Amino acid sequence: MLKVSGLKKFFDTPDGKLYSVNGVSFEIKRGETLGLVGESGCGKTTTGRTIIKLYEPDEGKIIFDGHDITNITPEKMLPFRKKMQMIFQDPYASLNPRMTVGEIVREPMIIHGVNKISKDEHHDRVNHLLKLVGLNSEQAGRYPHEFSGGQRQRIGIARALAVEPEFIICDEPISALDVSIQAQIVNMLEDLQKKLCLTYLFIAHDLSMVKHISSRVAVMYLGKIVELADSDELYSRPLHPYTISLLSSIPIPDPDKSDQTKKRKSVVLEGEIPSALNPPSGCNFHTRCPKAKPECKNFDTILKDIGNGHLCACPFA
Amino acid sequence: MNDENILSVKDLEMSFFTSAGEVKAVDKISFDIKRGEILGIVGESGSGKSASMLSIMGLQGSSGRIKSGSIFFQGRDITTLNMKEIRGKNISMIFQDPMTSLNPVLTIGYQLEEPLKRHKWNGNIRERSIKMLEKVGIVPAVQRLKQYPHEFSGGQRQRIMIAMSMICNPELLIADEPTTALDVTVQAQILKLMKDLQQETKMSIILITHDLGIIAGYADRVLVMYGGKIMEQGTRREIFYSTSHPYTKGLLRSVPNPDKPKERLIPIEGQPPNLLNPPKGCPYVKRCPEAMKICLENKPEKNILSETHSYSCWLGVKNNNA
Repeated sequence: MLKVSGLKKFFDTPDGKLYSVNGVSFEIKRGETLGLVGESGCGKTTTGRTIIKLYEPDEGKIIFDGHDITNITPEKMLPFRKKMQMIFQDPYASLNPRMTVGEIVREPMIIHGVNKISKDEHHDRVNHLLKLVGLNSEQAGRYPHEFSGGQRQRIGIARALAVEPEFIICDEPISALDVSIQAQIVNMLEDLQKKLCLTYLFIAHDLSMVKHISSRVAVMYLGKIVELADSDELYSRPLHPYTISLLSSIPIPDPDKSDQTKKRKSVVLEGEIPSALNPPSGCNFHTRCPKAKPECKNFDTILKDIGNGHLCACPFA
Repeated sequence: MNDENILSVKDLEMSFFTSAGEVKAVDKISFDIKRGEILGIVGESGSGKSASMLSIMGLQGSSGRIKSGSIFFQGRDITTLNMKEIRGKNISMIFQDPMTSLNPVLTIGYQLEEPLKRHKWNGNIRERSIKMLEKVGIVPAVQRLKQYPHEFSGGQRQRIMIAMSMICNPELLIADEPTTALDVTVQAQILKLMKDLQQETKMSIILITHDLGIIAGYADRVLVMYGGKIMEQGTRREIFYSTSHPYTKGLLRSVPNPDKPKERLIPIEGQPPNLLNPPKGCPYVKRCPEAMKICLENKPEKNILSETHSYSCWLGVKNNNA
């Protein structure tokens, strides 16, 4: 359904060129959820925003449903926007505080002229969407500040669903929510996926939630994908040194397991993610990699299939 | 480990008085913390975990007021004391957001030395700052003391905050979501650093978090808070393996365990209570799958399961009588 190849996005800053997304390729099949994980600044949000063309890509190709949308004009993009929607991280900042919930959910239908339907039908559809996300139709007249974080995220989801999209980019949809509410939203996203045949790109830094919701997971580091595999495979058999240390630093909600992990291997990564203004040469992870060899500085890494669609960028893994 | 209680909170009740009315943030909570222990506090936003810590620090602000109860620190009731003498010296605090808790216009050297000067450190102030900075892994310390907060990353700023909070050798460190704003690999570094320093200095730590994984990995004992009350307390193993309160059970079911095969999450339905108008009985009653009639009307009693493990729920009272 979506094919991204060699995607690059740079930003010009006063300090030089910021290599935010530096050659990212992946495919998403219809009906699946691809998880995209990585630490802050690794380019995962920029990847999502470039795919939906909130940013113009600098290099590479974005093929959606067989159409090359890499360089098309905003007017030509409009019909594709109807098919691709986005849910944002911060449910407090992503809703206009001066619009009622009904207006917020209705707005995309007006922009995309959904079926040129009448006001009454709009009204019915808003009510239907609110019900779909677990709110009730009486709440359509209220303003965002009257809702809690979890409810606002539901409103954001209803807005994304308003134009009957096929593909939704979920950019950290649960990280601003309380633990007991996160599970509500994740379950709802899973139910909606089944009901409406949706395809998700699920961007997050919460590795356990990503494993839970995704069929496949891509791990990003400094603008590049370092490993991509089926989620069970990736979590049970991680190959790239970065994935290994990332997974071993997830706190496990089980005292005995967590003690075992600490004894077995404390792969606490040294240092921090280098600046994307001046990424390291060769394999960009070599500055922190526990298994780095001298030659890692020198060659460019490529994602290689090592069987069963398990892709890894480290030649020594 | 010495069993002496370093801090004893008894029937603490604290409210914020806002334009909308009184917010009962902390509702009669009691707990102790022993010397050299890491006490974890879990709870969601509005559960009263931060508000109770601010009360201990005397930082509840002009709208917050301790209505009743006592906080004994090393044998003295600190609710009646001038906290300026204790804060930063005997009890110190690390905050969630390392980006905003340092002053951007002062060098980190100046900010590190401030508590030493204020509490009249007898020793070489510069040497102490350099030593602490090295201990938290910010090197070369001599040069880095002259730098400003914006020259450091989030993880480094949290390291600086840790150095600053420990510079006067406090007996108790309160860490309020110290790693929430950080990435997982950096989070692992910071938690390991805190644990190492704690073992070296034998101080006590109150670790506030919403992450049950962090609790499982680092806390000796755990308090589970909800709606301003302590729902359950016990050792780490008691909380995870003999879970007794329906809220704790719900929390544990609603997070995925990456080590287990995928199964559907069981969320806690509904929303946390509004503390402007708290429920008459148990604060969890509206979301509790096992709620009974009595839960609506009366505050639950405490059920004691062991010397360390107790929970507040009518279910336990019912089981005891049956």
